[in-house]
Amino acid sequence: MTAKRLRVFALLAISMVFLLAWAFPIIWSVLNSLKTDSDVLAYPPKLVFAPTLDAYRDVLFGSGSILPNLLSSAIISVGTTIVTMLMAVPAAYALARLRFRGKKFAGFYVLATQMLPPVGIIIPYFLVLRNIGWIDTYQGIILIYLSFSLPFAIWLLVSYFEDIPFEMEEAAYLDGASRLKTLWRIIIPQVRGGIAVTVVFVFLNAWNEFLFAVVLSGNTVRPVTVAMFNFVSVEQTLWAKLAAVSVLAMLPVVVLGVVAQKHIVKGLTVGAVKGGGRR
Amino acid sequence: MATTAVTSAGIASEAPRSDFGRVLAQRERRFAAALLAPAFLALMATTTFPLLFLVYTSTFRMDLAMPFTNGFVGFENYQVLLSDERFWTSLLVSLVYTGSTVALQVVIGLALALLVMDMKRGQGWFRVIAILPVVLSPAVVGMIWRTFMLAPEFGIVDFLAINAGLGSKNWLGDPTLAMVSVIAIHTWQWTPFAFMVLLASLASLPEDIYEAARLDRASAWQRFRRITLPLLRPAIVMVIIMRTMVALTAFAAIFTVTAGGPGTATEILNLYAYRKSFTELSIGYGSALAVALLIVTIVISGILFAMRRAK
Repeated sequence: MTAKRLRVFALLAISMVFLLAWAFPIIWSVLNSLKTDSDVLAYPPKLVFAPTLDAYRDVLFGSGSILPNLLSSAIISVGTTIVTMLMAVPAAYALARLRFRGKKFAGFYVLATQMLPPVGIIIPYFLVLRNIGWIDTYQGIILIYLSFSLPFAIWLLVSYFEDIPFEMEEAAYLDGASRLKTLWRIIIPQVRGGIAVTVVFVFLNAWNEFLFAVVLSGNTVRPVTVAMFNFVSVEQTLWAKLAAVSVLAMLPVVVLGVVAQKHIVKGLTVGAVKGGGRR
Repeated sequence: MATTAVTSAGIASEAPRSDFGRVLAQRERRFAAALLAPAFLALMATTTFPLLFLVYTSTFRMDLAMPFTNGFVGFENYQVLLSDERFWTSLLVSLVYTGSTVALQVVIGLALALLVMDMKRGQGWFRVIAILPVVLSPAVVGMIWRTFMLAPEFGIVDFLAINAGLGSKNWLGDPTLAMVSVIAIHTWQWTPFAFMVLLASLASLPEDIYEAARLDRASAWQRFRRITLPLLRPAIVMVIIMRTMVALTAFAAIFTVTAGGPGTATEILNLYAYRKSFTELSIGYGSALAVALLIVTIVISGILFAMRRAK
């Protein structure tokens, strides 16, 4: 009995260590964002301190406010999500339900585009966008974000479309409904849940993107992932403010992630699960 | 999994025999083309075209700092690349980074999934906490680790190292430690992914095989080795493939933490291509490096998919 209790205790200890390891850097950033700079820099690190919202007040409303950057991130993410969904829903429906020549190839093409390394295509993006004057514009960044959001959204949606029974469409056709009407009235309402999950993931990926943003953004369009660098310069690091900005950048994705918790494994493995046999 | 698509297509296809059937099939094709067109045009414009353009630029000298030297050079960039020591070093760094992070993620993720699977209570905590690192931007993760975790003395990792009697270390300034740090950060962020996927597939394994094994008095190790591991193999291989592709193209987490430094100690091939193009403004040679990265990615994914098909 004691051996078993010891085992249970050991397992509990190991799991606590891992839970703490994953949660701690995030908790620590939140704590640091509520400190003054000197409290952040204190040695040994302070767990108990007088909390203050000064850092948040400064980064939001002080000089060099990051409000425009949060707005930039929001516009880019919402814009990318809307454009992506408008294109991905019809495409996914066609790939999942319709018969046409080259369907297999079309599915493979979508998967293959997902494997392109971003560093590989950032150079052409930069050259072309610079030529047409789209550097530092929302339309430029949103267009480029389609390169990773579209394949992902199409494949995730295909998996939801494939779950709907065919009888529903057939019944609608027999009633004389057109294809478009059937898609809009019968099919789309069936995959509402799948569309919501896809929206969450597309938004999340767009919000988190960094490489394209760092090359293609400028003074007008600068998402928070890039603007964060303003707080760590060679001369000095603004510790508490950096913590506050990090927390603000994490907040939306953490909330969305926890809300979409049940669907996260499916969202993370899309493509590999569905298209596994085809690749 | 391809079978689902095949069967669903099969249900829909009562092969069109009559004229009426042919008209319907033709309408279906047109409808499909109309639905696919916007997405495929966008994908071609944002992936296929840039890829071709990249190969094209890689045959030019294109120096934004010295535009007067620009011009077509054929395969010169590739010749330079083959004898470029920094290229080979960055390739090696890429392989070490990818290999070690993927191995750590799978081993830790699997061990933890097995552990949590046996827990009667508290699984929910793991499911929620594991999501946190995964949904974060690698850029933010890198920034947090670089400052609040790894800064000398008041950074928590250094604080723990001092208290463990190791003394304060220059976690990001020392070449070896910097590499260890970026590997640890990547592993921290993505092990929950392996953990969640493997936990999900563990939960879907049939219970009765284990009952039978228990009746046959198979030891815990035998059950793991003979039952769990073979059944989990597809999931493990999938995790390896997905994580390898991501690790090979990782950028933000290293860029924000070390920017490839000190020197070129953590400069993976990605970062080298980026630095060459956008810091040293040598776009033509940067393109050749990016093409090399693409080839490396294709070769490695080819190997992995062959591994997946092999029994």
